[in-house]
Amino acid sequence: MLSRIADSLFWLNRYMERSDCMMRVIRTNYILSFDLGNTNNFSWRDVANIFCYTSGGIAEEKVKDTSAALNFLIADTKNLSSLKIMITRARENARGMQDNITKEVWEHVNAIYHIVNAPDLEKKLASSRSLELIDTLNHHNILYYGVTDSTMPRGQGWSFMNLGKFIERCLLTIDTSYNHFTKIDHQLDKAQDILFWKNLLLSLSGYELYLKTYTRGQHTINVLDHVIFNKNFPRSLIYCLQRVSRYLQEVIEETKMEGSESLQKSFGRICSKVEFADMSMIRNMGLPQFLLSLRHDLAEFSNQLTRIYFSYA
Amino acid sequence: MTGHQLFDQYKTYSGTWDEMCTDNKIRPQYRQVFNDISQLPEELLYQKDKLAGELFMNQGITFTVYSDDAGIERIFPFDIIPRILTNKEWDHIQQGITQRLRALNSFLKDIYSAQQIIKDKIIPASLIASCPHYTREVFGIRVPHDLYVHISGIDLIRSQDGTFYILEDNLRTPSGVSYMLENREVTKKIFPGMLADSRVRMINNYPLLLQEILASLAPQQLSNPTVVLLTPGVFNSAYFEHTFLSRQMGIPLVEGRDLLVDNHKVYMKTTTGLQQVHVIYRRIDDDYLDPLVFRPDSALGIPGLMGAYRKGNVAIANAVGNGVADDKAVYAYVPAMIKYYLNEETILPNVPTYGLENVEAKEYVFQNIENMVIKRTNQSGGYGMVMGNKATEKELTEVKKAINEMPREFIAQPIIKLSTVPCFIDGKLQPRHVDLRPYALCGPNGIKIVPGGLTRVALREGSLVVNSSQGGGSKDTWVVDL
Repeated sequence: MLSRIADSLFWLNRYMERSDCMMRVIRTNYILSFDLGNTNNFSWRDVANIFCYTSGGIAEEKVKDTSAALNFLIADTKNLSSLKIMITRARENARGMQDNITKEVWEHVNAIYHIVNAPDLEKKLASSRSLELIDTLNHHNILYYGVTDSTMPRGQGWSFMNLGKFIERCLLTIDTSYNHFTKIDHQLDKAQDILFWKNLLLSLSGYELYLKTYTRGQHTINVLDHVIFNKNFPRSLIYCLQRVSRYLQEVIEETKMEGSESLQKSFGRICSKVEFADMSMIRNMGLPQFLLSLRHDLAEFSNQLTRIYFSYA
Repeated sequence: MTGHQLFDQYKTYSGTWDEMCTDNKIRPQYRQVFNDISQLPEELLYQKDKLAGELFMNQGITFTVYSDDAGIERIFPFDIIPRILTNKEWDHIQQGITQRLRALNSFLKDIYSAQQIIKDKIIPASLIASCPHYTREVFGIRVPHDLYVHISGIDLIRSQDGTFYILEDNLRTPSGVSYMLENREVTKKIFPGMLADSRVRMINNYPLLLQEILASLAPQQLSNPTVVLLTPGVFNSAYFEHTFLSRQMGIPLVEGRDLLVDNHKVYMKTTTGLQQVHVIYRRIDDDYLDPLVFRPDSALGIPGLMGAYRKGNVAIANAVGNGVADDKAVYAYVPAMIKYYLNEETILPNVPTYGLENVEAKEYVFQNIENMVIKRTNQSGGYGMVMGNKATEKELTEVKKAINEMPREFIAQPIIKLSTVPCFIDGKLQPRHVDLRPYALCGPNGIKIVPGGLTRVALREGSLVVNSSQGGGSKDTWVVDL
């Protein structure tokens, strides 16, 4: 497989995973914004902070109310992390390798692109039809995984796609959780009711599973356990890392490239940081340090992967 | 309004060959389509027209128009009424093109080796020497099976009396074949019954034929050669076609930056290291192929590619240097080539062409300039064309001045009223001028032409310019067995 194609597959899925997560977080918070007086002290700024990296912070008028925030997060092309930009990049990647993805995947990505590039997008977001639009986008993001899963051939390309998807997902779970735990200053002993956590759990699509799995005990600890250690939760850190591990193994076996051994070892170290961690270790280390160092290591791992497999330019 | 009334309103231009009507009667090849469409209500035709547009849009068969900083994606206009040729007409076209390609291929072989045709004074040496596309860098290079033209799209037009003329030979990187194939797929969806009833010859084996020919060019007798399609990248206007063909043929689509040359061999950079490439179907012009030999500022090509080509380690389709054979001034000599190389009479005639270096011809053209079209020899796509009957006095004076300065850069041809076909425009059937570009493939086992080709339509009323860059559209083209 061409290095350029592997690179494009990897990034196509990173962008699509990011869009998926962002739209779910937006939808959850949008619906939550209707419930006045909840315990969440919800603000659009928090949502924007998860997804937008800007030096000097986000200007107040961008997140002053729902319609401004929706516009900023979804339609604003000056915001380099907006949905429109991400989908455009995903499509650019897909377009540059149309012969390596199936017609169905291309047409689906293209269809999403046309939705976010419709001339009336901003008008819709500011109107009462905004929720309908958000639902459509959510729906299309979920369909994307269905379409890829049922049409894309397995093999190396599939492995690179999944590496992109699960590395991105892991980073997003870290960011979203970090953001939410900041609201209680990462104090794990601070008891909070389920309404406080519902927002995070719905954003990660893990609310129902949480209710079924954790029937007693303190929510703060349980939620943390859920997002880090629950192997049955497809957005937990441990789940994502195990998937990365599997696809990395396949790529390494198939390509036998120089440097792959060191890549495997550095990933092993990241994995063991989570696999062999427990609550008391995280308490001693401090939750922010635990999450941030993991984030840093993963980003470094992704760079290493790029150097070995995607260097073509 | 029903379709029947639509047809009643159809008014052909006088003095023009109409592909559907003759003396207010419907030609036999159009009867089935005529009957089927006559029974459809007008709204349904509108719906079908809209559906066709959506099918192109969703597949990303678009080009981008920039206005107000925002790119708007547009489809290439497609007209839903097919253009129909009979098997008899088609056989004639096929024989004519086959003959022409055999001669052109012999010419390319000759001109880059013995140059016998110049020594025998059939073609003046000065004409070749002054041709910007004559590529000295490939002189003496042997190509597999002596084949230079593998993929061609020769443009035909039809005059008032129904004669087909050759308008242009495209022997470098002709595009549009994906539109031919996609147009048919769209027709299948919008008029399924009509297509089945009309006994239309199939065209969808084109990518398979092309793939076979490309594989046969591999330098050694490899059982599984690596064939790639080289594209300039996503910003090229024909990018859709590149992805379409590579997907249909199952070969990798590569960009210049994916390839490198080492020790006169071409490799592509893959996740498992370097992999040798044996055949390149390039959609990049000669000038951009190798910065070491051609334009040094080009980033699209691969440094060292021509070295590998000369050594025979990689085959390139079409061959490098083909531009000399589809030059607009060399065009006038193709009938002479047919006589010289094949000893045959020309089956499909050229449009009479006046090379303006000849003083008498120039005088004649200047006197009759209102009936002439002046073309630049080194431009295509409808650019640099002056229509004598439409141009202003000022434009004519300017072009005469330019001709006097550099006669080699211009040719003149009498204006031929292209034939018309019915198009569904603004809820009415209206005649529009068309040309025809059949796609021919030449391999070691002979020349194959898929029945039909791309019909390009000048969508503006009365316009004779069919190029997509000048407001042209296209139609599905049928060859029916009567």
